[in-house]
Amino acid sequence: MSTPAAAVRLRDRLTTASMVGPALLLFVVMLVVPVGLSIYLSLTDWNGYSANPAIVGLQNYVDLARSEEALRAGWVTLLIAAVGTVLLSVLGLGFALLVNGASRLNAFFRVVLFYPHVLSALVVGFLWSAVLGTSGVVNGWLTSKGAEVLPFLSNPTWALASLIGVLVWAGFGVNVVLYLAGLQTVSRDLLEAARIDGASPRQAFLNVTLPALAPVVTVNLVLSLVTLLKTYDLVVSLTGGGPAGSTQTAAYLILWDSFHNNALGFGSAQSVVLMIVTAGLALTVARLRSRADQGAQA
Amino acid sequence: MSAIRMPRIRTGVVQPRPIELTGAGRIAFLILTSVLMLVPMYLLVVSAFKSQEDILTHPFSLSPDLLTTEHLQSAWTNPDFNILKGYAVTALFVVLVNVLSVVLAGPVSYVIARRTERRYRALLLLFVAGTFIPSQVLVIPVVYTLKFLGLMGTIPGFVLFETTLTLPFSIFLYAGYIMTIPASLDEAAAVDGAGKHRILWSIVFPLMKPAVVTMVILNTFSVWNDFVNPQIILGPGSGLYTVTTGVYAAVSQYSTDYTVVFPTLLLAVAPLLVVFVLLQRHVISGLTAGATKG
Repeated sequence: MSTPAAAVRLRDRLTTASMVGPALLLFVVMLVVPVGLSIYLSLTDWNGYSANPAIVGLQNYVDLARSEEALRAGWVTLLIAAVGTVLLSVLGLGFALLVNGASRLNAFFRVVLFYPHVLSALVVGFLWSAVLGTSGVVNGWLTSKGAEVLPFLSNPTWALASLIGVLVWAGFGVNVVLYLAGLQTVSRDLLEAARIDGASPRQAFLNVTLPALAPVVTVNLVLSLVTLLKTYDLVVSLTGGGPAGSTQTAAYLILWDSFHNNALGFGSAQSVVLMIVTAGLALTVARLRSRADQGAQA
Repeated sequence: MSAIRMPRIRTGVVQPRPIELTGAGRIAFLILTSVLMLVPMYLLVVSAFKSQEDILTHPFSLSPDLLTTEHLQSAWTNPDFNILKGYAVTALFVVLVNVLSVVLAGPVSYVIARRTERRYRALLLLFVAGTFIPSQVLVIPVVYTLKFLGLMGTIPGFVLFETTLTLPFSIFLYAGYIMTIPASLDEAAAVDGAGKHRILWSIVFPLMKPAVVTMVILNTFSVWNDFVNPQIILGPGSGLYTVTTGVYAAVSQYSTDYTVVFPTLLLAVAPLLVVFVLLQRHVISGLTAGATKG
């Protein structure tokens, strides 16, 4: 075989291109271009069908900063993300410690804690709205016992609490599994040494287990935050954004403005802000955590 | 993002644990929690077999004279939503996305894993950055990209977008996995005259099984459970309902007629719950690995 070196290199390049090309093309067409399109549309007043959308500069972002509805959706989303993240992480670690053992009973508990994650958020929302709704199962049962109806989904505060509660019910199994994986990496020698030195289980937990779990805590915080900032399906099926818009999340309002209100430019501006906030918060949490870890080691 | 490797819960191996709380109080507390976790599922199952009045007055009762399969049958034959067709359409999407995803992500991951040049690191970063884009928000501009391509409202359009959403994490996982497979295997095959594609699919791919299984589980559940993308891309106009968009069409108008709601929801979740019960360990580790993609 005496193929010239140049021909070999060309064939090598073509092979590489044939392996990278298709995936990269699809990724660019279906993700990179649309993200760019979002940014462009956020600078226009497009309504979704007119032939000549006008460039309006940053007007949509100014409107966004002044829109009570959009700001409320933003705060609701941040509240859900903040409270939800704390609950998911605390319950995740707590239950991981409780079911951390090889017994069959523990395996059963793990499956029970995890199973709601398998169901689609849409179904979970419809199920809980049938359970908690004004004429739902719980209130029907309360009425038949002569008790007062509870406004789980009909009072703004209760509805937001119910939404967060259902998000946590459906999601914390994942956090349990992540913490369980983390607990397997805690050095048994260190725990044994702590025990021999007379540390109480509580001291051993605080001084050995918890520091060793630091990377897992970071993963849990970032993951919960990013997931909760995107909350959409559950809002559709559990509360429909109500009562009176009190449980509208950012993603819910973005889709509503873009497709029902024909305010595509405005919706795109909200999308861009949501993307930046999501990426920014995730990176910040990761960075703060890594600094805290370094501090702990120093 | 994924600072940790795939979580694995070793249930079968008995070994001393770093921390293990014990005692009757722990068991009692866990049983109580399990009841709370399972009550909604219990209500879903028993209410699917009851009349509206009995659901509201005797929600927990299992008395045989309350139970009927009448409502389950009418949900099965609901003219608004043919559940059997919904299963078939959704299963088709699951298969198409899974096949396309591995066919596209496999080769690019292989190149990224085996080449050391800077531009391939950058390529990996570009793909991984995709995990930060919320799909509910991405679908809005994608509608217009698909319209431009003439694919809006079509099965190829939906499958291509859904496949794109699987690429970032697949490539991240596969590239990381292929790096653990010794390159000497490739070199041996190359000496025997095999091309790159041949080496990937006949030598490397069979060794990637754990990573592929994880992705297949993850993609299967995320495509099956996806609501916003089929709802917007396929839309009611296309006449194509997945399980979730069909449930939405059937349930949202009758949300207080529980003889429609509960049987429909039960039929919607039954297939995945069966898969989950049969393959618990794989499903749990697959979905948890996927969750870490953020």
